[in-house]
Amino acid sequence: MIDMKRHHPLSMLWSLWKLLKNSFAIILFLFVFRQGSESQWLYYGRIAFYAGISIGIVSIIWKWFTSRYTADDKAFHIYSGVFNRTRRTIPYTKVQNVNRHTTLFHRLFNVTSIRFETGIKGEDATFQLHVVSLSEAEQLEKIVAGYMAKDAEAVEATEEHDISDAVKAMEEGVEQLRPVITDEAMSLPAKEKQERVVHYHSTRKDIFKASFTSLSFLVLIPVLISLYSWVKDFFPDEEVTESLLLTWLDSWWIASLMILVLLIISIALGIVRTFVKYGNFQITSDAKRIYISKGMMEQTSFSILKERVQAVKITQSPMKRLLGLAEVELTTAGSLGESEQEVNSLYPFLPVKQAYTMIEEILPSYQVTQEMEKLPRISLWLRLLKPSWGWIMITGLLWYFKPFVFGQKHAWWMISAILLVWIATSRVMDFFHTRYILHQNFIQLRTGALTSTLFISKREKVIEVQITRNVLQRWFGVASIHTVNRAKPVLHHRAHDIPLDTAESFQLWYMGRTQDVQTR
Amino acid sequence: MSIQWKPPEQRLSPQAVKLWRISAILMNVIGFLILAVLLILDSIYGWKTWVGWILWGVTAISVLYAVWDIFIQPSWLYKHWYYDVNEEFLQLKRGALTKVHQIIPMAKVQSVTTNQGPLMRKYGLYSVSVGTMGSSHEIPALPEEVALALRHQIASYARINEVDE
Repeated sequence: MIDMKRHHPLSMLWSLWKLLKNSFAIILFLFVFRQGSESQWLYYGRIAFYAGISIGIVSIIWKWFTSRYTADDKAFHIYSGVFNRTRRTIPYTKVQNVNRHTTLFHRLFNVTSIRFETGIKGEDATFQLHVVSLSEAEQLEKIVAGYMAKDAEAVEATEEHDISDAVKAMEEGVEQLRPVITDEAMSLPAKEKQERVVHYHSTRKDIFKASFTSLSFLVLIPVLISLYSWVKDFFPDEEVTESLLLTWLDSWWIASLMILVLLIISIALGIVRTFVKYGNFQITSDAKRIYISKGMMEQTSFSILKERVQAVKITQSPMKRLLGLAEVELTTAGSLGESEQEVNSLYPFLPVKQAYTMIEEILPSYQVTQEMEKLPRISLWLRLLKPSWGWIMITGLLWYFKPFVFGQKHAWWMISAILLVWIATSRVMDFFHTRYILHQNFIQLRTGALTSTLFISKREKVIEVQITRNVLQRWFGVASIHTVNRAKPVLHHRAHDIPLDTAESFQLWYMGRTQDVQTR
Repeated sequence: MSIQWKPPEQRLSPQAVKLWRISAILMNVIGFLILAVLLILDSIYGWKTWVGWILWGVTAISVLYAVWDIFIQPSWLYKHWYYDVNEEFLQLKRGALTKVHQIIPMAKVQSVTTNQGPLMRKYGLYSVSVGTMGSSHEIPALPEEVALALRHQIASYARINEVDE
């Protein structure tokens, strides 16, 4: 499908750029800060630096010459080394999701980077091309996608002609793609384009609204405080400070103008940040896969086969709850990139109602039940009764040391009391947020004190369950349930103090999973 | 077709209680020796008073813990440990105070290992640990033939592959 080839020549430039970026601090130190210095060690330091850089450059070129990759009909094969030859094979079946990241560097040269992630542990878990032409990225993605789709179909339908049809269709797809590559245009075949359904495209209004949920304008408060203390430090004489404050208050309009200007600046910054990060956010899907892409300057896109979605999480922070927004996240078994590139979250600022319908839209095999069961009242009492070891320990320490806070002698029991109230409140809030339901082969659990998380998964995707009952829970006739899903790191989800009969039916529900599981 | 569910009934080797008791005694003896050395050093060199307080406090707690560790815990642990394995699931049920019931689908089992420490060898016991994608679970103290048979059984059941992987 793709013959044995070397990486894109520009990947050498990319590695060089990275090398320079990483040694930036050293360069700054050796050649800028100590420019005039003629000391002995600096001289040798510079020589060592030149040697290091030359070795780096040689190894970049050497690596480029000695590593190759190919993609056949089943797997990627990655060859590297001359003396120590390694050959790595990544079968398409193991690819969980595909990530594409286009930085400014890539846009400059009209290329992109692509990463295929597997669920395997360790270093060799991913196949990454740091620089690849757009058309080749498209082709690689299609090869993997075609294989994944074919694989899924082959399992679903046992009739042989289906498989051969799928293979034919896939081969056709590749055939169609070839002339496209020579044209150097990156358009998908027209048929494919029609199939893609756009579920969401962020509008200006959405992002504008979203930029407020991050509360970035609150940055103003520390700025004001530090400004005030700066003024105070500047005029240590209290009379001056007071008179200054008085003149400030006298000319209140100056003060309010300043605050207004600061407010506008911080809001504007927040909006710009949100626009750069989430601008152009788009969620599309076709019959088999979900595609998410985002970013104005640096573009990141992510695609996953629908069957590879392990669980769905809907998270609501207090601010988002206030605005009726929610974050929808897809849990996948492949590793996610560095935090800033994370694109597994569908969209952090979806209106709640739209979030539920969208899950059903893009994942037709998922059903979201809106009505869920509440915890029995008795678990509230249990939660309030449960000793909080953290509180006991902190109170013990406070009692022993009796620290003075803000010159308060009685601070220790006040802190302890505040902590107790806080713990109790969060337990009560968690009680009211907790909802659960088992519906056919779905489980939905919602938990969380301040930020609530709704977790939806299918029982065939849950890899392990656990039911625990401590002494108090046994008295009250309740239990805790715990599910484990594949992800990196493994996703644990717990719901505490649900009624015993529900825990039992949870166990039976899970043991019935063999009905839905497809084996090969 | 799903197999009718029943709670796990297989038990550990009764020898386990003896084994745990002996290892607990050994550990506690070592612990108390260290404490004794520290207390002697304290009385010779006259360390700060609070050091002495802490040492005596630790000793008191250690005595209580030793009673629990040697006399109560081994028999409770044995009494409340059940496991079961069938074609579909590995079930572990344990805990006297906090009851834990784990259910692990066979298809998600990735590895089975049998281990034997020096003390265990004396009693002819093995522990079997089962690794999954998420974690690893251990069935402690099984007689040799049971442990080896179980390892075999789990390995053969775990051969089923789910489409997901």
